[in-house]
Amino acid sequence: MNRVMLFGQRFHKDDLMLPTEEYYRRRQKAGGAGRWLLFIVVVMAVVIAAIGAEVNAQELPGVSDVVQAEPAEVVTLDEVKAGDLLFTGSKPGKYIPAVHLDSRVSISVRGLVAEVELQQQFKNTSGTWREAVYVLPLPEQAAVAGLEILVGERRIVGKVRERKEAAKIYKAARAAGKRAALLEQQRPNLFTNKVANIAPDETVQINIRYLQPVNYDSGVFSLRMPTTLTPRYIPGIPALPQALNADELALVAENSGWALPSDQVPDATAITPFMLPAKELEALGSHNISILVDLHGGLPLAKIDSPYHDIDIDKKGEGRYQIQLRDGTAAMDRDFLLNWRPRTSAMPRAALFSEKITVEEGGEEKAGAYLQVMLLPPSDSASVQRLPREVVYVIDTSGSMSGNSIRQAKESLTLALSRLHVNDRFNVVEFNSAPRAFFPRPVAASEENIRRAREGIESLKADGGTEMALALRMALGQQLQDDTSSVHQVVFITDGAVGNERALFELINESLHDARLFTVGIGSAPNSHFMRKAAQFGRGTFVTIGDISEVRERMQALFARLENPMATDLQLSWPQGIVADAYPKRIPDLYRGEPMQLVARVDGADLQGDIQLRGRIAGKQFVRKLALTLDGNSDSSGIGSVWARSKIEALRDQQLQSGEQSDAGLALREKILQLALAHQLASPYTSFVAVEEEIARSLEKKLSRSPVANMVAKGQVLQRQAYPRTAVGLYGQMLAAAILLTMAGFLRLGRTVRSNLTRSLRRVLPDPRQSGAEAQPQRGVV
Amino acid sequence: MIRSLLFLLCLGTGVWQLGSAAWLLAKAELAQLLIANAWEGQLQGEGAQKPWPWADTWPVAKLKLQGQAPQFVLAGGSGQALAFGPGLLAGSGDPGGDRTTVIAAHRDTHFSGLQYLKYGAVIYLQDSNGHWHSYRVVETRIVDSEREMLPIFAERGLLLVTCYPFAALTAGGPLRYLVYAEYQSGGERVQL
Repeated sequence: MNRVMLFGQRFHKDDLMLPTEEYYRRRQKAGGAGRWLLFIVVVMAVVIAAIGAEVNAQELPGVSDVVQAEPAEVVTLDEVKAGDLLFTGSKPGKYIPAVHLDSRVSISVRGLVAEVELQQQFKNTSGTWREAVYVLPLPEQAAVAGLEILVGERRIVGKVRERKEAAKIYKAARAAGKRAALLEQQRPNLFTNKVANIAPDETVQINIRYLQPVNYDSGVFSLRMPTTLTPRYIPGIPALPQALNADELALVAENSGWALPSDQVPDATAITPFMLPAKELEALGSHNISILVDLHGGLPLAKIDSPYHDIDIDKKGEGRYQIQLRDGTAAMDRDFLLNWRPRTSAMPRAALFSEKITVEEGGEEKAGAYLQVMLLPPSDSASVQRLPREVVYVIDTSGSMSGNSIRQAKESLTLALSRLHVNDRFNVVEFNSAPRAFFPRPVAASEENIRRAREGIESLKADGGTEMALALRMALGQQLQDDTSSVHQVVFITDGAVGNERALFELINESLHDARLFTVGIGSAPNSHFMRKAAQFGRGTFVTIGDISEVRERMQALFARLENPMATDLQLSWPQGIVADAYPKRIPDLYRGEPMQLVARVDGADLQGDIQLRGRIAGKQFVRKLALTLDGNSDSSGIGSVWARSKIEALRDQQLQSGEQSDAGLALREKILQLALAHQLASPYTSFVAVEEEIARSLEKKLSRSPVANMVAKGQVLQRQAYPRTAVGLYGQMLAAAILLTMAGFLRLGRTVRSNLTRSLRRVLPDPRQSGAEAQPQRGVV
Repeated sequence: MIRSLLFLLCLGTGVWQLGSAAWLLAKAELAQLLIANAWEGQLQGEGAQKPWPWADTWPVAKLKLQGQAPQFVLAGGSGQALAFGPGLLAGSGDPGGDRTTVIAAHRDTHFSGLQYLKYGAVIYLQDSNGHWHSYRVVETRIVDSEREMLPIFAERGLLLVTCYPFAALTAGGPLRYLVYAEYQSGGERVQL
């Protein structure tokens, strides 16, 4: 009877209907299956509900016209006929791009110049005649020297004309139904390529030839080629279409950007192409690029690598390599970067390349040459007294930084904070539509302050506009100007996705004082033009980070520059009797690992003597010499174009100071125009235009404009253009909560509910397992 | 064993989801009370006031939609500001200023009433000087935020923005519901 007490057995053993093993097994089986069934059904219900909501959301834009109660009062882009990026495909409601794009690049590197041939095929997949408008990103130092149209076997060579004239020629050809192409420079690294009169199902190829200097830094040569862009923020107030003047209206009508001209960026429409996600374009087989590099540096190399692409390297001979993409092609969603490092024994300390020319002057033929010079200042490892630093870190938290970019930026910034010394001072400014400083003034880099800043950085989110001017003003205004006890530095971490670059350069130039500005370019497709020029005007230097794995290495490179002495007061003297027109005009201060690079034009057939570079490092004078020779071996073509391009850049910088519309500015414009025409280069004032003589399209056939979208850069989120996120997903959460709680309830109470149910069922129905057997007492159901 | 684990899991996540939803709602409602005080202080001429010491936003206007209780509009359109009330987007115009005023809020908290605003409905907006401005709804529209910019122009007007569709379960879709209201009159210190 003890057992009764212990186990609470209230029935006599014989009265009990003890469940058989069979019963347990069935129960286990049925119960398990039932539970899983319930679980799966609930999960499915949630998924279906969510999909339903999404589908609703997708379908509704088609109805939006019906929702519109009144004729539109708000003027949107729809009214400024933006052209049709997409056309309706065979499936209703499904839109596909009309013109597909395919690119091939062959790069040939000779010495310090890369000659690039970019072949782009525009394929019209629609049934009507099309004009393709493509915003073409190019390297920021590209000297665009050629344009060709290739239709079948026919080759039409383009010419450089004054910008307005070129546009006029192109428009006339387009209206007449002739095949034509126009290449206009919008920014030094952003061009617009238009191709008129592409027949249905026809492919037109455009060949663009450009030259760019090879970068050499800390023993590594590198070459960067962008394939897409990060959508740029347009600051300022958009003008109402009614308020535009004729020129501006023409600009809006000719281009197909998503932004209207604003008071700060009058050419906004030309630099804001539509973006499509990689997934959509890949499905169509559009926007692929194949890259072939012929590397002929003449140096034995220790390493060749491309951080963002898989490459295959073939050694073709001594110092000659051929590089191509491993998969043949890659999506145009990130910059292509190629680095090559010579063997330590062959590490160049100086280099001189030349291109001989003959110039006619007053009926007389004179010999001359273009020179490209690279010279490293002595590397000085002697330690110097470290001055305390005052660093203001500026981090871009605008919408374009969302995705991987903000992660890279945060990581870089956290790393930068960890490098501060106790006697340094620092501040952090984050900005999107408005800047916000973490501390009112720079504070001591104490553990407490750094911890607080770190917490602040952790909570940063990328959203909103890119009002860079406000942020720059705040950052540059943080430091006391007459304070000479410390070194003033501003580290600017951004993707540079803005449309008002020149206004910003002007601002940096004006309010820099004795500070130095360093830019850290973030993302798969940063605005390299902004990075380079902002650092140049800020008397600093720049690094780019394209992947989270690069953060540590690239930031180390930047720290080495921030913390080590640089070569200052640099002056170059030419041998007597040689007249040289060299760019950059003033040699900038050089940071550790940076060489002096310049291009010059010299007159005279024979060059003799040494060029001398004088300067000081850590208070000590130094002189470096390089013998001038014109031997045939180092002869390389293309330096002339690079020189002209550098000169244009120098003139544009001067123009920034005088203002573009002033007398001095207009005189500079004339100079740039003449230079660009003489060297047949694209420039802010000259464009390439190519027209076929033959008429291709008969005029009764309609021509529609087809902007070719750019691919959303890797790791970036398609921009919600200036719209805030306006839902917290409350309903979803509440539904999920309700479902989960109900499920929990079922799981707990399920047993009781079920046994009650079975009991009441048993009263009405005979137990199938008991049928045939003798009736037994029913009270013992556990 | 599995059953009780599942039970705990369901209960746990359920309570967490419910709690966070409740927290969002409570935050949205409670904050408006605190902000009301800050706004009153501001109208008394005490300058821009933060509703609570660690707030990173402050009220800039008071918004009254037809047939709905007034709400306080905060500065900025960031997630932090929108959690507590409608936000006046940086870069848009001040209430009554010569530039489109853009106010955004979450469709599931403060702007759930936006769907009931019909053509001709009147919207009142009080600026930080206490002056009331009135606007009349002239258009409602659904836009795809991936393809269109905010239509901010150099003229008076009010644009209310929220997510669309109103009943969607998940957040983060590209569609936005816009209500555009024309400027009617303003400048008076009327008592509503």
